[in-house]
Formats: sequence, structure tokens, C-alpha cells
Amino acid sequence: MPESAPKPAPGLPLPLPALMAAAWLVPGLGHLLLGRRSRAAVFAAVIVVAFVVGALLQGELIFPQSGDPLSYLAFIAGLGNGALFFVARFLGFGQGVVTSPSYEFGNTFLLTAGMMNLLLVLDTHDIAVGKKDW
Amino acid sequence: MLDHFTLMVLHALLIAVFFAFLWKREKQERWRYFWKVFAALVLGAVALGWLMYPFPRP
Repeated sequence: MPESAPKPAPGLPLPLPALMAAAWLVPGLGHLLLGRRSRAAVFAAVIVVAFVVGALLQGELIFPQSGDPLSYLAFIAGLGNGALFFVARFLGFGQGVVTSPSYEFGNTFLLTAGMMNLLLVLDTHDIAVGKKDW
Repeated sequence: MLDHFTLMVLHALLIAVFFAFLWKREKQERWRYFWKVFAALVLGAVALGWLMYPFPRP
């Protein structure tokens, strides 16, 4: 049976790139703009809690360092947090205290929050183009 | 200061909630998937910890 072509969701609130940018900048905003209110609230809560716990555990929002290829991946994951990344850096959070016993845990929470938000951007895209109808 | 196990459980909880809502549509499906992911993460980490027990860090 041939796969049916994806149907774009009618009446997108924003052009697709702007919608995806919004979904990246504010966790849950993409789903909210597409009318998925309850899922948006859950996603926002999960990501914000993970991010705040990570920052409180003295994790680090990692920047790329030459000679350390993994730092590039960690940077992308951290940047996935969108506005949270910039706000935290501006407020002085996410500097990372390597000597803290919770440093690695903090990193894990921060990186996971960013990667979850990147998955939300992809999910927003799928809903917007009609690949996912819920 | 939370201990490592509590932090691991909190992490597993957040991940399980996230994926249950991302991938499952119905409420019942979500609950089932949530418990599956949560149990796999927590029990898997504990099992892995015990498997690593005979190989301490030098």
C-alpha cells in the first residue's frame, strides 16, 4: 500500500522556519502555537525543570574547545536549550564547577534538557507538515 | 544536597515523562510507556552499577 503524502496542517500560525525557531527558543512554544496546549505545558515543565536542576547542580553549559571534538557536540546539545542557554549564561549560571561532586550530574541534566528541546523542534516540524496529526 | 540515586531517579522520571508525551497519544499507552522507560532507566542503571562492581577504577 503506497504511503499517503503528508498533508500540511491548515492555518499555520507562523511560517515553518519561524515556528521551528520559536520551538527552539522557548521549550513548548512550538506545540503551544500549534494548539497542543497540554503537551506544550508538560514539555515546557520537563525541560525547564531539567535545566534548572542542572544549573543548580553546578553543571556547565559547554563551549567548543579546539582539540576536544566532544565539546562541539556538548555545545550543540547545550545550545538546544534555546533562550534558557543565553539567559543562564547572562545571569552567570551554567559556568560549571568542576570540583563540585554534582558537576557531572549537572552536565547530564543540562545536556539532556537541550537534546529534548531539539527533539521538540523536530516534533513541531512533523506536526506542522502533517506527518503527525496529534 | 540530593544523593546520586535520587538524582538518577529524578532524571529517569523527567526522561520517561518526556518520551511518554512525545511518542504516545492515548492516556493508557502513555502510562504504560512511562513505567516501561522509567523502570528500564532506573533498574538498568542499578544493574549496570552492580556489573561494574568487580572492576573498580584504578
